Amino acid sequence: MPRWGMVIDLDRCTGCGACETACKSENNVATVSSDQADLGRATAWMRVMTEVEGEFPNTTMRFMPRPCMHCDNPPCVKVCPVAATYINDEGIVGQIYPRCIGCRYCANACPYTVKYFNWFAPEWPESERAHLNPDVSVRPKGVIEKCTFCHHRLQKAREDARAEGRELREADYQPACVDACPTGAIVFGDLDDPQHRVAELKHDARAMRLMEDLGTEPKVYYLTPRAGT
Amino acid sequence: MTVRWSALRSRAVGAFTGLRGAGWLRGPTLLGLLALVALVVVVLASRSRPVAQPVAFNHVKHTQDLELGCEFCHQNVNTGARAGLPNAETCSACHQEQQGNSAEAVRVTTLLAKGDPLRFNKLFRLADHVYFAHRRHVEIAKLECSQCHGAIATTRRPPSRPLTRVNMKFCLSCHQAKKQSVDCVACHR
Repeated sequence: MPRWGMVIDLDRCTGCGACETACKSENNVATVSSDQADLGRATAWMRVMTEVEGEFPNTTMRFMPRPCMHCDNPPCVKVCPVAATYINDEGIVGQIYPRCIGCRYCANACPYTVKYFNWFAPEWPESERAHLNPDVSVRPKGVIEKCTFCHHRLQKAREDARAEGRELREADYQPACVDACPTGAIVFGDLDDPQHRVAELKHDARAMRLMEDLGTEPKVYYLTPRAGT
Repeated sequence: MTVRWSALRSRAVGAFTGLRGAGWLRGPTLLGLLALVALVVVVLASRSRPVAQPVAFNHVKHTQDLELGCEFCHQNVNTGARAGLPNAETCSACHQEQQGNSAEAVRVTTLLAKGDPLRFNKLFRLADHVYFAHRRHVEIAKLECSQCHGAIATTRRPPSRPLTRVNMKFCLSCHQAKKQSVDCVACHR
């Protein structure tokens, strides 16, 4: 059984935001008005966090793409009263929208703040409605949504592999953010399969996970910037 | 405000029957009657709406007598999520010219000549949050159509209601028997 995970090399990230845009487009993530975004009601399953380090003029811009960590020990799953969020056998933390009652316990339990509440019914300009991804639902008002590691792509990839009578390969299943990253900063695969790059990268000397001390066992690893960069 | 149940009931009974105080409509009989009405309403409401089709398509004629494959009309059944329904273009392949002398065959050809789009209506409907793919079940798992659609291929007239009840219990029983995924995200997103 695979255990899907991600390694993000912060030295390679240029903060271009391609991952963020690709994710929104792939997963029918709705936009909100700028005043609502200022209230923290904007949704981005993948978000490039920015931080300025040092004092002017000796400053460095730091970027950190932050998807759902798909924790092996997910705090959000523990607090869901209706089993709408759960972790599946392959380590993907799923959110079943028709089951979600919108209590937002999970959003509050998540230390990474990657669970988003739909404060409004999703809206798109007429010209964009035809471009919604039919493989992903459009979430209604009142439910929590989150990154799924593009699980629908895994399903499609498995289907293709089975139709061709072969095993699933590493390149077959890559989330939209990974596909879009122009510098190859995001690597995705089976953390337990030595053939996959992530299995090796997670043991890199620069590898770390966010808030490891909480015991959430996140499956997204970061490769910290080398000294002097 | 306090409500006196007995007074309310006798008034309701009076309004219903015009026989204020009719002995047989009191107590358990009335409750039973109301329960029966409620049951009938629930049963009627839970039944799917009848589905009408533009022409009286005969599955036996097409799939057995003429030995056409399902994918002749349901063109995406092996490749797509939705199997697809035939349209005027599909029917025109044969019915541009009149096939046989039955009244319906005459009607199809006339409709096509008039430029009718022949919009067939979906009979089997899944809830919006169910992500089902025909390709996965038909092309890859090699299931027979009848496994889910029942004896649709042996109908001579379009049924107005689905022949089987496709619900989550139905899906899960098969998935469990065939040791397939019962993971929530496999079907729900």
